[in-house]
Amino acid sequence: MSKFPEYTHEKSAEWFSRALNAIPSGVYGHLGPSEGLFLPITKWPLMSQRAKGTYFWDVDGNKYLDLMCAYGPNVLGYCDDEVDAAAIEQLKIGNCTTSPSYKMVECAELLKDTVASADWAFFMKNGSDATTFSVMCARAHTGKKKIMFFKGYYHGDFQWAQKIDYPGVLPEEVENNIVVPWFDLEAMQEAYDACGGDVAGLIAQPYDHGNFNDNVCATKEQWAAVRKFCDDHGMVLIFDDVRTGFRLDLAGSDHYYGIKADLICFCKALANGYNMSSVCGGEHMKATASSVVYTGSYWMSAEPFAACLACIPKMKRLDTPTLFREMGLKITNGFKAAAAEHGFNLVVSGEPALFYLRIADDDSLMLHQEWIAECVSRGLFLASHHNHFVNAAITDEDIKLAIDIAEDAFGVVAKRHPEIEYLK
Amino acid sequence: MKEPKAMAYVNMYGVLATLENLCEIDDVAKKICKKIKKPVSLCFEVKDGPCCTFNFSKDGCKMTEGDYGCTCKMTFASPEKFNALIDDGKPGIPTKGAVQTLAFLLGPFTKLTNRLTELLMPSEKNLKNRQFFEESTILTFYTIGGAICALANNDSISKHSAFYTVDGDVQMGITDVCYATIHVENHIFSLVKDKPVKPRAIMEFKTIDLANGLFNGTASTMAELCAGNIYMAGMISMVDNINRILDRVAAYLG
Repeated sequence: MSKFPEYTHEKSAEWFSRALNAIPSGVYGHLGPSEGLFLPITKWPLMSQRAKGTYFWDVDGNKYLDLMCAYGPNVLGYCDDEVDAAAIEQLKIGNCTTSPSYKMVECAELLKDTVASADWAFFMKNGSDATTFSVMCARAHTGKKKIMFFKGYYHGDFQWAQKIDYPGVLPEEVENNIVVPWFDLEAMQEAYDACGGDVAGLIAQPYDHGNFNDNVCATKEQWAAVRKFCDDHGMVLIFDDVRTGFRLDLAGSDHYYGIKADLICFCKALANGYNMSSVCGGEHMKATASSVVYTGSYWMSAEPFAACLACIPKMKRLDTPTLFREMGLKITNGFKAAAAEHGFNLVVSGEPALFYLRIADDDSLMLHQEWIAECVSRGLFLASHHNHFVNAAITDEDIKLAIDIAEDAFGVVAKRHPEIEYLK
Repeated sequence: MKEPKAMAYVNMYGVLATLENLCEIDDVAKKICKKIKKPVSLCFEVKDGPCCTFNFSKDGCKMTEGDYGCTCKMTFASPEKFNALIDDGKPGIPTKGAVQTLAFLLGPFTKLTNRLTELLMPSEKNLKNRQFFEESTILTFYTIGGAICALANNDSISKHSAFYTVDGDVQMGITDVCYATIHVENHIFSLVKDKPVKPRAIMEFKTIDLANGLFNGTASTMAELCAGNIYMAGMISMVDNINRILDRVAAYLG
């Protein structure tokens, strides 16, 4: 008998039906079912009503302990009082104005003071804006054409970052992409030579936190070798810290791995949900960044800067990277123990602050999908094939609840599968 | 852009391979087969393209790869020439059993392929007949399955999708109507016209009406997925890559 009754989602379904009529895919992208990961869809909330701290409530009034954190932006807890107060105060006096607010300058100075490799900051709205700007800078700086990627890359959804077989993408838009295995210097050299050295830079996430695979952490030695390769070959090293930024190290994930990137992209954790992104870089890239034509109507709006100016100091006060590592370990150790109680082997991978989960001994992942669905439908929001996120508002009590629901869900799945020998 | 070589593989493994299913489920085709007095194994050999043999008998049709055991053979100088057979009925050059080849090609084979065309490119009027509608949908299902594999292995864009597809069996199906397995090994796709024993991923349409709507573009994949009418499970990245190839199938067969 399950301790946690299953939720129902009648209003979610109604709203989603309206969404399908008015919006392509209803909810497109990673927040909706269009990517086929809400399995089965009836177990998932599709529309939210409100959020606070670690929790959000769907339109049916169901409460979720959220370990996806809006896929990253929720870093301090939803509707953080300090950040919201700063943002609201700024909204009252001006947001999107003809001359940008001085808050932008304060924000850039704060990033310079915070991020080890930053001598300047350039602002935009989304992660894709930041990675695209970085790639443009790399090409402008080197006068070279091709960009190197590590296998399984994700750097946003602009055409250049997609793949040749994606709808709407022209072969010409991705023909200058070179993909090599992670940290494979030999392959990098071969690829470099194959195009006569016409490589502007390498763009990479700090470690392989791709979907559908166990995440693979990097080492300082690996990054040192790649840094040297880029230096030796005149390539710009771009760190895509959109997902991991401020979660591993407040000074940047390149700092975490003991190197300095030439350019580093931030977004999700910058302002606790207020929309902004940034590229920071070394002095040697500043003139190039100035030369690249790149702007947007809302990129200098003051409200997110005000939020960022409250968010980063609070992350520093709380030492969020240390906190997230500790929380991630507590959660995942609890999940693993809960799994073992029911005969499952839960594999945890990636950095603890962004842990990735998979039930072992099932290469179809169907058991894992079942477990995730049972967690979600009982109030613990996890994702089946994506890394998770924690936020600074999570308490030990929340972690205990998360582990209880996870354990309950393992029990439900185990009971449903009497045919699996190792569960007996 | 359609690539002639990939198109030839689609025509062989997608379109002509569906003759197997046609002869199995369609009464008109069965009658045509019943009149085949002596088994005929007709090989189509395409230079720089596919080579398959269609073994026809009273019992139906079975396709095998290569020319082993063929009683007659027709060769095509290029994929384009083979595609002209499918598009315009222009035959290639008989290189084995010429008399039998032409007689069979102009007789039972043409009748069967005409019937296949009727079912794969149905008129509105014919679709009102429920049996025709169901047969048409089932045959389209198998044609699409074959075309997915043909493109995954031969179309330059689809090969990228195949490159990102992990090994294993993907179960495709229309619930309680028909199933097929897309077997992936080292990024090479092959179609098995049956359920897999241990699928690594599943994509299944709940009803034949839904499948028909999806195949002809009148139903929304997203709406049906969200309504729970398309069942997906397992290694969704495999299904995702297959769906990208499906976009190419539409470009080739649309």
